Amino acid sequence: MNPAPAIARPPGPRFEAGAEVESFYHLVGCDLSRRRCEGTACFVAQKALGSAPVLPAPGEPRIACLGRCFEAPVIGLDRARPRIEVQAREGVVLSRLARGLDAGLAAYQSAGGGTALAQALRGQPSAVIEAVIASELRGRGGAAFPTGRKWSAVAAAPTPDTRWIVANADEGDAGAYIDRFILEGDPHALIEGMTLAAFAVGASRGIIYLRHEYPYAQEVLEQALAEARATGWLGGAIRGRDFAFEIEVFVGHGSYICGEETALLHSLAGQRPEPTIRPPYAASRGYLGRPTLVSNVETFATVPWIVERGGEAYRALGFSHSRGTKALSLNSLFVRPGLYEVEFGLPLRRIVEELGGGLRSGNLKGVIVGGPLAGIVPPHLLDTPLGFEELHAIGAAVGHGGVIAFDHSTSIAALVHHVLSFGASESCGKCTPCRLGTRRLEEIFARAAGLAEGPGTIRAEVEELIAVLRQASLCGHGVGLGDFAASALRYFGKELDACWP
Amino acid sequence: MLAVTINGDRQQFPAGTTILAAAQQLGLEIPTLCHDDRLQPNGACRLCVVEVAGWNRFATACSTEITDGMEIRTASPAVEDARRTMLRLLAADYPPAACEEAPEKPLHRWFREYEISPSGAGARSCFRDAAHPYLHVDMAQCINCSRCVRICDEVQGQFVWRAWNRGAETRILPNAAACLTESDCVSCGACADTCPTGAIQDVSERVHGAAEQWTRTTCPYCGTGCEMLVGTRADRIVQVLPALDAPVNKGHLCVKGRYAFEFTHSPERVTEPMIREGEKWRAVSWTEAVIFVASRLTAILEKHGPQSIGMLGSARGTNEENYVAQKFARLVLGTNNIDCCARVCHAPTAAAMKHMLGTGAATNSFDDIEQAGGFLICGCNPTEAHPIVGARIKQAVRRGAALIVIDPRETELAQMAAVHLALRPGTNVPLLNALAHVVVEEGLADPVALQERVRDFAPFREFIREWTPERAATICGVDPARIRAAARLYAEARPTMAFHGLGMTEHVQGTEGVMALVNLALLTGNFGKPGAGVNPLRGQNNVQGSAHMGCEPGHLTGFVPIETARDAFATAWGGALSQKPGLNLMQMMDAAGRSELKALWAIGYDVAFTNPGTLQTHAALEMIELVIVQDLFFNELAHKFGHVILPAASPFEKDGTFMNSERRVQRVRRAVAPPGAALPDWKIVGDVARAMGFGSAFRYTSAEEIWDEVRQVWKAGAGMSYARLDRQGLQWPCPDETHPGTTILHTDSFPGSKTAPLVCLDYKASLDTTCAEFPFMLTTGRSLYQFNAGTMTMRTPNRELRATDTLDLSPADGAQLDLREGDTVSVRSRQGSVLLPLHLDPRVKRGEAFATFHAREIGINHLIGAGRDREVMTPEYKVVAVCIEKHEGGAVP
Repeated sequence: MNPAPAIARPPGPRFEAGAEVESFYHLVGCDLSRRRCEGTACFVAQKALGSAPVLPAPGEPRIACLGRCFEAPVIGLDRARPRIEVQAREGVVLSRLARGLDAGLAAYQSAGGGTALAQALRGQPSAVIEAVIASELRGRGGAAFPTGRKWSAVAAAPTPDTRWIVANADEGDAGAYIDRFILEGDPHALIEGMTLAAFAVGASRGIIYLRHEYPYAQEVLEQALAEARATGWLGGAIRGRDFAFEIEVFVGHGSYICGEETALLHSLAGQRPEPTIRPPYAASRGYLGRPTLVSNVETFATVPWIVERGGEAYRALGFSHSRGTKALSLNSLFVRPGLYEVEFGLPLRRIVEELGGGLRSGNLKGVIVGGPLAGIVPPHLLDTPLGFEELHAIGAAVGHGGVIAFDHSTSIAALVHHVLSFGASESCGKCTPCRLGTRRLEEIFARAAGLAEGPGTIRAEVEELIAVLRQASLCGHGVGLGDFAASALRYFGKELDACWP
Repeated sequence: MLAVTINGDRQQFPAGTTILAAAQQLGLEIPTLCHDDRLQPNGACRLCVVEVAGWNRFATACSTEITDGMEIRTASPAVEDARRTMLRLLAADYPPAACEEAPEKPLHRWFREYEISPSGAGARSCFRDAAHPYLHVDMAQCINCSRCVRICDEVQGQFVWRAWNRGAETRILPNAAACLTESDCVSCGACADTCPTGAIQDVSERVHGAAEQWTRTTCPYCGTGCEMLVGTRADRIVQVLPALDAPVNKGHLCVKGRYAFEFTHSPERVTEPMIREGEKWRAVSWTEAVIFVASRLTAILEKHGPQSIGMLGSARGTNEENYVAQKFARLVLGTNNIDCCARVCHAPTAAAMKHMLGTGAATNSFDDIEQAGGFLICGCNPTEAHPIVGARIKQAVRRGAALIVIDPRETELAQMAAVHLALRPGTNVPLLNALAHVVVEEGLADPVALQERVRDFAPFREFIREWTPERAATICGVDPARIRAAARLYAEARPTMAFHGLGMTEHVQGTEGVMALVNLALLTGNFGKPGAGVNPLRGQNNVQGSAHMGCEPGHLTGFVPIETARDAFATAWGGALSQKPGLNLMQMMDAAGRSELKALWAIGYDVAFTNPGTLQTHAALEMIELVIVQDLFFNELAHKFGHVILPAASPFEKDGTFMNSERRVQRVRRAVAPPGAALPDWKIVGDVARAMGFGSAFRYTSAEEIWDEVRQVWKAGAGMSYARLDRQGLQWPCPDETHPGTTILHTDSFPGSKTAPLVCLDYKASLDTTCAEFPFMLTTGRSLYQFNAGTMTMRTPNRELRATDTLDLSPADGAQLDLREGDTVSVRSRQGSVLLPLHLDPRVKRGEAFATFHAREIGINHLIGAGRDREVMTPEYKVVAVCIEKHEGGAVP
């Protein structure tokens, strides 16, 4: 079942998008059950565990990632759950998962779920926004935008009909499997968070944009939505209030860029999912041109706790400008891979050494925190505390919360080639630096990694390309790829210099 | 105003200015590839990046609006390095030869300026198409700027160019087709116009080379009045581009305006005067030709009197030429027998609107399209016949404007419409009456308008009560529920703008139909304000001007009734005007048939081909002693009935003005020299006037001199001097040189009255009806690629895009008659018969048929009957009962 949201089509046969939009995606109708994952966690695990990298046959889609990084390398889908622990003073998003509760509404309610909504509905929508503002929650999808500000903007944006709530469940960052297990194991937290958001900003329609790679999540979500509707937690007159809200699930067709907000909204509307320049922001002109609140799954799942316990209680967790908790997903090279909810401010070293228990394969060479569009943290910087600004200062990012450690079996040239190759294949092609620059860097690093023959390279060209990606790309895709390569050059320059052919 | 510093230079700009626009105003050129002022900023090529102090990353100048205090560096070393890197990336797979072939394309210029040499083979597998007569495509030169895609979407609304795949594999292809000619492309050429590399390029530019000189002028085709730049090289037109600041077309053109200029250089042009001698034509000097015409006219005048001579001005000619033509008829010949082709098109509009509103012209302007809440499109097909208007309406509808279409066929706009009223041909009056009924009965009328600006509501309310949708449905065949829906939408989407065409006028009840439409506008208050009104789409570049200048038997320059203005014009012209009512075109043909019309001078008007009932028309023309043909070509009139042909200059070869559908007077300028001895019409008529002893009244040495005389006799046009028109076109009324012109009529009152009347319009059916012998109802009309008599477009490569006329029939009727696509069919009416190829078209309803009238070898007007508008005699081209049979004799001869 894949109910597309009611897309208001412009009139006339000429306006309909056709196969050309479909051709943008690489997983249309693709069965994932026997596909080898080519995500970054699987890539470093293959190196560390000695298995040869397997490239897809020509014409086969490239899969990355399947959200199984804790047991990488993997082939196909599996329902196995990782270790899930709360390592914070309060468990905000992972507590029910850590307790092993099932995904049903009854379990959710028994753990106190739904209290926040009931409480909110007794008051005014503005109170919900105020709580979120007070919490200093920032978006957990990577951009770290203050959530309360976004909600205020959507609530203030005029609209002739409805506002929209869109949950970005396109968790494409290789190494991140946080949203996957919230979706599969705690869907009502997302639903309650979205419903609170709808109540707060005055929206009546919601969509969960779910990535194609998470078919189990789709099953769970449909089940959970049905339960919520049956119980009157969704639909018209929710809990007796004059408040109606409905959520539908939209399943993507395979494209990393759809995690970018504007691309995601174009994808929903049946258009070519290319990022567009902002402004206009989704808050004022989003889905179908209407004010739209787009946040990622973990962000929404955090909201019920904040509403129930108060913004201040959330703000009391964490540190600096990074408040509250963050779920992290550790890859299979750790001794204890899995999902950990921690407070901001925790030094990376404690995450790597205490929570993860260090590497099981060999000596740590580096940690990729926050996905492939950020940077590599070298071992000597592991004392950096987990924080948005703190990681940014060393060329890395909190990102989505994926933590991929790798050891000396992974050469930096090969790693950079792997990431750029992924980046080039997922580039939408709209802007010149990303469309051609990532492809060119991929070629250069293929030679550096000994994967291809070709004329020699001067480091100047690499730096030029990185500069143009970081400075001039249209969206975060090109910028992030540039950041990654820059970080490799910054911390592993010597190793790379020895590789240029 | 916001203060910004650009490259150290502190300047003020209004809020909303982009960095790119601000830099442009300072004379700084920032390189761009994906930017086009006609399109929404896209920020894709990234070549326009600049440094903004305090920003982490570069900003794209095209999309970033300035903020107060912004400090911008447009060419810092880092920015220049980034541009160079991006150009190098583009150059890596770019064919060097392209730069040599078209060095001035933006990409090639930037390669040159940043000293980058393309090194690629351009061998990427990509789309190439050399089969289109006007558009050459080689996507090896594509740099993914998506300007073609966006201009096709955002300006033309055609959605032909589509991006496939993603990343470096992105490819731009025409929709659902292997080549452009099989796609939905309408050949408007906007993609080639905007393409910064030549990946899509005008064939004419490739064949003839880049233009050396550009002349701004007004399009010689339909009455939209697009302004364009005519590019010439060695006195030859090589390319036409839209004027970017033109108020009507705003940087856009259609296939006819942009590409159909080749007729100008046709070897078939008449280049010297010729006199018929038996079956042969003898080339003569202008002196001989003028003496021949003058002496023959003088002889006929002496023998048969002024009523025996008729003159036809040309809707293709300038205002100045039409003014001179009617002055010649009235002053030199002493007759009011002067008319033009407005007779066969919008004479009912002029009459109906003049009668009810006091002015017989469009109430509003094309710029109201973007302000309208909805549109009522009646009997016109703008996306084919007025493509720029059609494109603007399409974009407005995409943005949410309501659309109601009244048309027997499912035209392109009908496919987009919220309500399509597919009426039976000839039933506009009952349908519009029923719409008025719903408006009145459901209380949708505008009470303020009824109170303050409309009279005779009480009798109208009584009258319209009987016109229920159910009653109308029995006549027009439209579901009453749809009629109600349309009426509600028209009233509730206010302001609602009505456009109408010949599907309203070319009927026995043409004038009444337009009056019924005016009733609707009056009832709903859709007049005198932006985004509203009743707006005829005039078919030809200057048909509005031709009649307005006085090529109309009953009206003098300014469309003033001759009875009221005769004396003033006699004084101005220095000679008496005939007291006798003039004959209109149809009356001239009748008089010719009775041997009462002895001479006819037809300027740029092929009546032998375009008049209804071709055989009957020809029989009448046969009786005329002297037929003077003034034209670009040996047309049907010259060929079959002409005694002398006078070679005329085309609109690209002369100066003057045209008047478009929205009352806008715009300059026409000479871009190339006329071929051989061809002359502008005003010079030819002036020479004959001199030869007939009227030299002093025709002592013009330029079009401007004529126009200055027009401004003296036409008060509402007095303010439109050439000096002003040279800056921008003006809409009349424009009574003095400080007046800005009038975009919307009747804002406070109607000419001579505060109020306008509602008119009770009984329905009198057309005479031509279907029966067992003639079971199909045929309507005729225009197509996108051909224009009217085909005189111009049939002599251009448009012929490759649409070679001939077709009989369009619904597939179901085709199947019932056992007819297949392309079969030659014999179509017979009570008037005549023709052979033409069949086209099965699902847009045509069962029991109906549609045909265009462009092709000489087919001559669809043989079929048109004798029905005429009861008020102004416009022929009923739209209602013809026919029978359709398979022609067994093979292809059309």
